[in-house]
Amino acid sequence: MVSSVNMTVQIGSLKMRNPVTTGSGTFGFGSETKDLVPLDRLGAVTVKATTRERRLGNPPQRIVETASGILNAIGLQNGGIDDYLANKAPYLRGFDCPIIVNVPGENPEDFAYVVERLTAAGAADAVELNISCPNVSHGLDYATDPQLAASVIAAVRKVTNMPVIAKLSPNVTDIRVIAKACEDAGADALSMINTVVGTAIDPRKRKFRLANITGGLSGPAVKPVALLAVWRCFNSVKIPIIGMGGIACPLDAIEFMLAGATAVACGTGNFVDPTLSLEVIDGIEKYCVENGFADVNALIGAVTAA
Amino acid sequence: MIKKEAAQVVSVTPLSAPRHFVLTMKSAHLASHSRPGHFIAVAADTGSAILRKPFSVYMVNPDAGEISILFSVYGPTTTAMSRMLPGDSIDVLGPLGGRIFDPEPIKGIHHILVGGGYGVPPLNYLAKTIRASAPDVSVTVIIGARSANLLVGEDGLVAAGVEVIYCTDDGSAGVHGRVTDALLPLLNQDCRVYTCGPTPMMKAVGELSEAHHVDCQVSLETFMPCGVGICVGCVVKMRDGIFSRTCTDGPVYPGCEVAW
Repeated sequence: MVSSVNMTVQIGSLKMRNPVTTGSGTFGFGSETKDLVPLDRLGAVTVKATTRERRLGNPPQRIVETASGILNAIGLQNGGIDDYLANKAPYLRGFDCPIIVNVPGENPEDFAYVVERLTAAGAADAVELNISCPNVSHGLDYATDPQLAASVIAAVRKVTNMPVIAKLSPNVTDIRVIAKACEDAGADALSMINTVVGTAIDPRKRKFRLANITGGLSGPAVKPVALLAVWRCFNSVKIPIIGMGGIACPLDAIEFMLAGATAVACGTGNFVDPTLSLEVIDGIEKYCVENGFADVNALIGAVTAA
Repeated sequence: MIKKEAAQVVSVTPLSAPRHFVLTMKSAHLASHSRPGHFIAVAADTGSAILRKPFSVYMVNPDAGEISILFSVYGPTTTAMSRMLPGDSIDVLGPLGGRIFDPEPIKGIHHILVGGGYGVPPLNYLAKTIRASAPDVSVTVIIGARSANLLVGEDGLVAAGVEVIYCTDDGSAGVHGRVTDALLPLLNQDCRVYTCGPTPMMKAVGELSEAHHVDCQVSLETFMPCGVGICVGCVVKMRDGIFSRTCTDGPVYPGCEVAW
C-alpha cells in the first residue's frame, strides 16, 4: 500500500518499519512459513524461545482447543543457543527485518548467558526476557515477584546494549507493580501478556486433557484481559509496550494501540492464518488513512472514556 | 509450496457410511502440487472453535484442477463443511506435510496399503499413484472398519487394478477380524507396507511389519493446531527420545522410528 502514513515505531533503540511483530512461540524461527510471509514486511520477527541448553519439551498432549482459544503446554522445546546461532540466525539475517529473540531461564545467570551469546554473535536486535512462561518449573516465579523480576532485568542489562524487553504475566495481582520494577531495573520495553494459566478436563475420560495438566490460555478469549493490562501499564510506566493477546484482525491490533501499546504481536492467530501479521500491517495503515492519522504513533494510548 | 486460498466448492456428497462426506473443491494449486500423504487445513467460520482442521488429500484431478477430501462430521468445522454448497468458498491452506509417502514403485515388490476409517482416503490416492507409475507392480489395499456400513474410501480402486481386501470387526464384510489378520499371510521379503488410520491400528501394523523385517511407512494422525510447524503442538515421541512435529517432520515416518 502506498500512503503517506508514518508507520515506523520505536521500541527503545529498536526501530520497526511498522508496529507489528510475531508472538514468541507462534511463528517458529521464521523459515517455517517462508512460502507465506516475507519477513522483510514485518516490523520485527520475534522467534521461539531459545534456552541455554536444548530442551525436549513436554510430552503430548500439548495443545487443546477451548472456547475462543487454545491451551498450550509446549514446554519450551528448542535446540538451545548453540543451535540458534548455528542454524536459525543465519537464515533470519538474510532478511531486512529486526530479530527479537525470546529468552527464558531458570535463574538470572541463565538469562544473562544466552543474552551475552546473542550479543557477541550479533544474532539478535533485541531480547525479550521470558520471565513468565507458565509451562516450565519455576518459570512463573520471576514474573510474579517484583524483586525477582528486577534481578533478571539487572543481570541481563549488564551484558548487553540491545533493547531489553520484559514479557509480563497476567497471572498476578497487580501487573503494574511488576511493570514498574522492570522499568526501574533498566528494561527498555515491556511485552504483555503472556498466556493465562488454566486447564481443561475431558469429562468422558475423566482425565486432564493436557499431559502437563496446566497450560497457557491464548487466543481471542484472553484479549480483554490483555487490553486492560496494557492500558494499566501504559498509565504506570514510561517505557513502550508491545501489546499481545488474542489479536485476530487489524481492529484488534488497533485496540491494543489505543490502550497504549506502541507495537503489537500476532500470536495464536498465526496458527489459524500464518499471514495474519501482513493483514494486520495493511489494516492498521488503512485505518490511519481512513481516520486521518498521518502518524501511527498518534494511536498510542488515544482511547478516551465512554 | 504452501498457499492459502479461498477455493470454490464443487460438490459435497454424502456417502453411505453415516455422517461421512466427500468434498471436492476447485484449486489448480492443490491439484498440481498435492502428492500422496499431503494434507490440507480448512478454516470454517465456526464461532468459538478457532483452529484449522487437517484433512488428507483423497483424490486429485489435475486436468480439472480439483481435489477431494473425505471426512466424517465430528465437530463444528466438519459440520460447516457438510453444509457447504457448490459455489461456496472454502478457506484452505496447503498442501501441507514435510515427509510424505515414498512409494518406490519397484518391480517385484508387493505394495500393501493398510487403512482404517478416514485413514483410507490417502491410501486410495497412494494406491492409484503407484498403479499409474508402475502398471506391473502388485498393489493391495486392506481396509478395516468396525462394520460393513463404515467402510469408506475405496472408490475406484478395483477399477484401477488394485486388489482390495475388506476386514470388519463384526464379520459383516470381508475378513472377520482385524487388518493385521489379513496382513500377516501377505508379509514376506518382497513387500512394503504403508499404513494410515487409528493409532492402535498403525501401531499393530507397524510392529507386525517390523517383526517380519518389512519396511513400513506410517502416516501419523495427531491433533494439528497449525499444520505448518510453528506451534509445536502436534508432536509424537520418536525412539531417539525426540518429540517430532507430525505436520512438518512427518506426517509419514518409518514405523521403526516411532516410540509407540
